[in-house]
Amino acid sequence: MLDTAKTSKVEFDYSGGERLTMNMGPQHPSAHGVFRAILTLEGETIVGVDAVIGYLHRCHEKLSETLTYAQYPSIASKTDYVAAMTSELAYVMAAEQIGKIEVPKRAQYLRVIMAELQRVASHLLWLGTWCMDMGGALGGGATVFLYCIRERELILDLFESLVGARLLYGFYQVGGTRYDIPDGWAQKCRETINLIDARIGEYESLLEDNPFFLARAQGVGVISRELAEDVGIAGPLLRGSGVNFDLRRAAPYSSYEDFTFNVPVETGGDCFARYRVRMVEFRESIAIVRQALDRLPDGAISSRPGLKSVAQIRIPKGEAYARVEGPRGEVGCYLIADGSAKPYRMKWRGASFSNLAVLPHIIPGHKIADVVAIMGSVDPVFGEVDR
Amino acid sequence: MPAWLSPLVAPFIVLNVVIGLVTYVTLLERKFAARMQSRIGPYRVGPHGLLQPIADALKLMMKEDIVPRTADRRVYNLAPIVFLVPCMLIFATIPFAPGLGVADLNIGILFFLAVSSMEIVGLFMAGWGSNNKYALLSAMRAVNQIISYDLPFIFAALVPVLLAGSLKLSEIAAAQQGLWFIFYPVIGQLAFIAFVVSTLAAENRVPFDILEAESELVAGFRVEYSGMKFALIQLGEYAHVIGSSFLGAVLFLGAWAGPGPEWLGPLWMLLKAMFLFLLITWVRWSFVRIRVDQILTLSWKVLLPFTLLLLVSTAFVVVWRAGV
Amino acid sequence: MSNPVLPSSPTAKRPHGPEGPAPLRSSPTRVVGPLSVIRAVTKALWVTFLNLFRKPVTVHYPDEERKYPDRYRGLLALVYEKDTGEEACIGCRLCEYVCPPAVIKVEMLKTEKRNYAKSFSLELYACEFCELCVQVCPTDAIVMMKSFDLATADRREMLLDKDRLHAIGLQHQQSWATGNLLRAMQGPPKMARAEEVHAKPAGSEA
Repeated sequence: MLDTAKTSKVEFDYSGGERLTMNMGPQHPSAHGVFRAILTLEGETIVGVDAVIGYLHRCHEKLSETLTYAQYPSIASKTDYVAAMTSELAYVMAAEQIGKIEVPKRAQYLRVIMAELQRVASHLLWLGTWCMDMGGALGGGATVFLYCIRERELILDLFESLVGARLLYGFYQVGGTRYDIPDGWAQKCRETINLIDARIGEYESLLEDNPFFLARAQGVGVISRELAEDVGIAGPLLRGSGVNFDLRRAAPYSSYEDFTFNVPVETGGDCFARYRVRMVEFRESIAIVRQALDRLPDGAISSRPGLKSVAQIRIPKGEAYARVEGPRGEVGCYLIADGSAKPYRMKWRGASFSNLAVLPHIIPGHKIADVVAIMGSVDPVFGEVDR
Repeated sequence: MPAWLSPLVAPFIVLNVVIGLVTYVTLLERKFAARMQSRIGPYRVGPHGLLQPIADALKLMMKEDIVPRTADRRVYNLAPIVFLVPCMLIFATIPFAPGLGVADLNIGILFFLAVSSMEIVGLFMAGWGSNNKYALLSAMRAVNQIISYDLPFIFAALVPVLLAGSLKLSEIAAAQQGLWFIFYPVIGQLAFIAFVVSTLAAENRVPFDILEAESELVAGFRVEYSGMKFALIQLGEYAHVIGSSFLGAVLFLGAWAGPGPEWLGPLWMLLKAMFLFLLITWVRWSFVRIRVDQILTLSWKVLLPFTLLLLVSTAFVVVWRAGV
Repeated sequence: MSNPVLPSSPTAKRPHGPEGPAPLRSSPTRVVGPLSVIRAVTKALWVTFLNLFRKPVTVHYPDEERKYPDRYRGLLALVYEKDTGEEACIGCRLCEYVCPPAVIKVEMLKTEKRNYAKSFSLELYACEFCELCVQVCPTDAIVMMKSFDLATADRREMLLDKDRLHAIGLQHQQSWATGNLLRAMQGPPKMARAEEVHAKPAGSEA
């Protein structure tokens, strides 16, 4: 048993040498999930951070060895549950790469539409939770949070009329997608993204010139370009530090080369730069969705017949690594197939897992209040971190 | 009525009214905030949520009182009371109508400012007695912040004193019969803005609520309190907010002045205080909070020189107008 | 490691963050002019003030219910065949094999004319609502409903047996998706067009 009498006395020594160890524990309103950071503080400034993860480990990789290629895509959503569409896509693409399975054009465009809508929805959640962390659950942050959730609900309504579910979809299937868009969906989608486009302008006006927001976000959590390239982060963190790397450009998949869009890159490296990157990504994703809806070809949504039995999809021997540009970075799935209906081994490259590695480099030197701002701008989802 | 009883009647009435007001002001804040966030606040408990504060009060009274084993019991138990009493005492000098108040002291506003600064002791006791690092951090920030913002608060509140020429709150209210001090050219508006900002900071409201930052310190100094003690702390906080709103109404918004017969005076006073309270709530639900070093920078480098300058210029203006 | 200042960005006014335990410093505050502060503050207050007059987006559940889309994945149910009124389930156990969390347990009962399910149990508290069982069913026997209302205080009430599944099927409105329709939607175009002619209007918004 911990000797609480001894540990409860903290010696205060005003010569400036006092260090306090504080636990920002797994149960915390702004831990973004279950994340434990053991902070060493001097006064209010952090001198060391020790991150402990693993509270959400659910053995995805072992589970994938026991589930077939038909069953696992529904489970893959649960890694990055905020951006479920992108997690599933990596797994399905890996299987298709090994089996050299072609995906029809319509299915590719549908995948692009859903992935970009999912990016918008995920970034809305990011903006809401980040402002809530900075503003408090009972403060102005909650206002931005509720506005963002209100808009995210519109996108989830779109997904609900397409798939039937709001958070975890099971939309993808080896060979294409499982559902086709119903009548009237394209029109509703256009109306929704027009509305969201206008509302994003409102959020920008609420936040951008706001001196309180700028004071919290500028100069905080600066990731230098060298650090960004060394540590192996990806996504808006990388692009916010000046590295122009986006998988949709560098290694296009699923017909992304057919669309014209900009990739935002900021050189500031701080939380504000990452905020700007994501705000521009909103608008670019909306542009991609509009283009894809305009040019959606007719045809089949899957190159394989409909799923009739659990072991229907067999992938021949081989291995492949499929990468997807998720809202948080590169989501990768490394798959080793052995000719049966179940993979031999599957490994997830979780975007948030690699992004978290940058925390011990950038947090020391900041105050406690900055930890939540930095965590929010790194935007981890612990389903992806712990799998 | 026996001689020892009559001085107790007015405080008794005022205390009860204040506690009732505080409970219902929480409902007002929740509904106002909800409407600003595209939702409806409490709705089902009673018609349109009107019984929600009663339900909350009953719930808090019935909750288990948990005291951490390693907490400093005496300090921990006393802290809510030490926090609450000054917050209630500030209502002693506020005149709700000419002649209607508990104690119209000659040093009315000085009493208000002095007593309201005493709650910081209770706050620190709560943080220290909880034996919790989060609470301790919050308490340290509290001492920093409230002490830093008491000075601009005092200077901003002294501007109406200079304009009225008296520390007595009823005389300040009477001096506004012609022109409310908020409409006084330039000085009135600047003083009002400084007053609102310092009030926000002295009461730990967003954007200055780093003290109880729910997302960092999980309720700060009150994190270890549950049940009735928590209710007392909440009561104290909201009472302080309401008290400052009433003070603002007296100092800047003309207290009981308003159209209609004289007996409507207290109603106008209430409406003005609620207006100030809603203004504070509006600001609360619109901004993110700033960090503690930024708060302190704002106070010492911006607000204090500003209010000092304002006070000095008010003095000049008053002398000049008296001479003219 | 030396850190050159990042070029050409208005926010890069200071060198990068430390890459290790850093010397202690306080972050600089950005000094904004008073006019821009007032303008920004007013803008923010205006946005929240406008929202005061927008209609709340709350749906007063359970007094009102949201309109569920056609393909809603709700509760699971077993249905009867439309023409004969007999149970549609033939006990083939395909749903049991495909279920990822393995919540379905079926026993087959063989008779001369056709097979039935002797027992069918579905653990709804562990169900993922992934619709895979609906997808593989050859006779469209198991379907999902447009409702999720099964809140209970006892988890055992969510262990659905065959009778309860049939009862749920009669109680609520069925979603669009059945096995044959889903498989038809996914197949290559020729099969899809032929099936769509016979099936219900494919997933049109009700």
